[in-house]
Amino acid sequence: MTGRTGLFLAYGLPDAVLAGRPADAVAAAGRAEAAGVHALLLGDRPAARPGRPAPPAAIVTASVLAVRTRRIGLVVDAAPAYHEPYNLARMVASLDHVSAGRAGWRVVTGADPEADANHRREGADPVDGRAAREAEFVPLLRDLWDTWEDGAFVHEKDTGRFIDPGRVRVLDHRGPALRVRGPLNLVRPPQGHPVVLAPADHPVLAREADVLLAGSPEAAAAADRPVLATVTPFVAGTEAGAQELHARAGAPRSDADAAVLVGDGPSVARRLLAWADRASLHGFALRFPQPEGVEAFTALALPALRAAGGLVDGHGPATLRGHLGLARPENRIVARLTAAGTERSRPR
Amino acid sequence: MRTRELHLGLMFWATGTHAAGWRHPDAVADAAYDIELIQEVSRSAERAKLDFVFLGDRLASDPALQHSNPAQISRLEPFATAAAIAAATTHIGVVVTANPTYSDPYGIARLLASLDHLSEGRAAWNLVTGADPAAALNFGRDAHWDTERRYDWAEETLAVVRRLWDAAPDPDGTGSRRIDHRGRYFSVDGPLDVARPPQGHVVVFSAGTSDRSRELGARDADVVFAGPQPTFAKRKEYYADIRARAARHGRADRVAVLPGLTPIVAPTTEEAVALHDLLNALLVLDPEREVGDIVRAGGIGEGHRRNLTSASEVFGVDVRGHDLADAVPAAVLAGVSEEGARRLAEITRLTRRTVGGPAPITYGDLVHATPAQLSHVVVGNPEEVADMIQEWFEEGAADGFNIYPAYVPGAVTAFTELVVPVLQRRGLFRKEYRGRTLRDHLGLALPPR
Repeated sequence: MTGRTGLFLAYGLPDAVLAGRPADAVAAAGRAEAAGVHALLLGDRPAARPGRPAPPAAIVTASVLAVRTRRIGLVVDAAPAYHEPYNLARMVASLDHVSAGRAGWRVVTGADPEADANHRREGADPVDGRAAREAEFVPLLRDLWDTWEDGAFVHEKDTGRFIDPGRVRVLDHRGPALRVRGPLNLVRPPQGHPVVLAPADHPVLAREADVLLAGSPEAAAAADRPVLATVTPFVAGTEAGAQELHARAGAPRSDADAAVLVGDGPSVARRLLAWADRASLHGFALRFPQPEGVEAFTALALPALRAAGGLVDGHGPATLRGHLGLARPENRIVARLTAAGTERSRPR
Repeated sequence: MRTRELHLGLMFWATGTHAAGWRHPDAVADAAYDIELIQEVSRSAERAKLDFVFLGDRLASDPALQHSNPAQISRLEPFATAAAIAAATTHIGVVVTANPTYSDPYGIARLLASLDHLSEGRAAWNLVTGADPAAALNFGRDAHWDTERRYDWAEETLAVVRRLWDAAPDPDGTGSRRIDHRGRYFSVDGPLDVARPPQGHVVVFSAGTSDRSRELGARDADVVFAGPQPTFAKRKEYYADIRARAARHGRADRVAVLPGLTPIVAPTTEEAVALHDLLNALLVLDPEREVGDIVRAGGIGEGHRRNLTSASEVFGVDVRGHDLADAVPAAVLAGVSEEGARRLAEITRLTRRTVGGPAPITYGDLVHATPAQLSHVVVGNPEEVADMIQEWFEEGAADGFNIYPAYVPGAVTAFTELVVPVLQRRGLFRKEYRGRTLRDHLGLALPPR
């Protein structure tokens, strides 16, 4: 992507860190922030997996981290299949308020039989109409975030006017899969819309998202919006040490979900920069299966990236949109009404 | 049976629980989005050793509530708010409202378990079923479910949620199992993905006056959060009824009944009455042409409008067309209905103004007494407020209170700094927390798996 001034880095902290004591998760988030990482990606899958317990629900963890950090973005996973749009819209919007504009939502798509089996109820099975629901979900959440215009809450103590009813919109959404009347019970989020992340290869969501996540750098070509490539790095002080870490983790190989990079700090940094240049990437979503991997990357690869001028300046506006170079979106409902000529002119 | 203890919580409504609370000169007009203020208010409740901060919820918004109940227009989502409160405090419980009618049991179970982990054992679930018809339209439904269906659904939800907590893994990963629930409404395999909550079962609050809600509260809840009642006798009846129902389920001393209470408190009685008058004077009244019921609290309570036409209806005498500051002649008030007489006594209790006395009841007083109150209100100096609390506690009307601050943050600190020390001095309320979890504060044992 032209005009890029540096890479955007997001960390997916290991489950073992997030499922530990709350203070440890807060400390890990603080170290990432201090190192100049731009966002944390918090996984959320409503189904048990073998072994250790899963971390707490992402939205709850994110809110705790939000009030213990100042600049780092907080991206939560959520699948349309397991959420009511009204509930998810307010959760992500609330995180945006609590974090003063640092919230993001990664749209989780596709089949998940174990999670489906936890969410069947009378008249609703997540298996049915999954794709239609996914397709309708993101634009609907954007509309819900726009149901209260900026400035709709006036709080005039002297007149007793609490809101301006002319700046509130009933949505009355009636789609093939979803019906929501609105308005949302929440002030428009600080970022307008929290940042929406979706898979780069999703036929519908790739057009609706703000940021795309690609499984490999090559998959990022020719996108018209920021793309982050997903990478699992194994970094150590020496090449041999990195190879050993990789082997101990079961020697995972690059696949459709993530590229695997093994090496010492400077070589991993070099390869990330080369990938970014070749594929016009905006940055990377780094996955760390082991807690040691986070600290090794932060200590050994991140300084090399920064020295090469490879990181987005950490001194810009401390919103997730700011870190990504994304503008605050206009209000879609007002824009539609204006385009239809039904919106009266309204001097402020 | 353990020694009965007084329990106190803080109901957090960002604009205050008085409809004009946000207009008080010292009020933060809308604290709903100021997370640092919400944290500070929570810390002041914790300094006073309160049991919990309570976050209500409403799954709809309506601009028409701006004068009658602005707190019900908008708010942060409770779980995100509760997590931020938990991060800023160390002991106080955090009560989150979640409505099974519009959520699924697996989602509720893991959100509550997550909050219990991140607060290290301080989470509670206020189980509501949603009396508010507007919410249904935000969740793909054509119509609001009736009470029976909502409670059937809620009871199965609660059973599934508790089974999921019991079948969740221990922190070391052992002990989890599937639940394979196949019920009337839900099919849930489990196990829960997150670890079992530190409290075993997250504490459960419920509320309501219907037979179904009383039964659910008595059988399944740890705390019954009681709404307003017209008289003290009715309040005692309600309390005795919950106790008797709980006893039938073998849990006579395991359910705390905590009504809502709005204390309008100041160092002197005169200042408290003046504060009450000021808040009422800041209310925006309904136009006289508007009559009939209005939803004032988003399903929490309905009531008449604030105007003299509605007051005439409620008091049973024609008081239309007068200046609100004027005294109502005693002759007019002699003709009020039975309900009107009850409300006149309430006006005197709150304002100290009397029929035909040196400080006479005004037309404005009638208007302010016309809509249903959200909670019991007490106006007075710290000793008077403490007297009322002690009387209810000792006379078998309450095990404690959910305190409704009229405005934020001033009415919170007025209660914590003026009234709580009096209660502590009288030996009615704790001076230190006994433990670190909400179960510890409420004297509830850890449930077995």
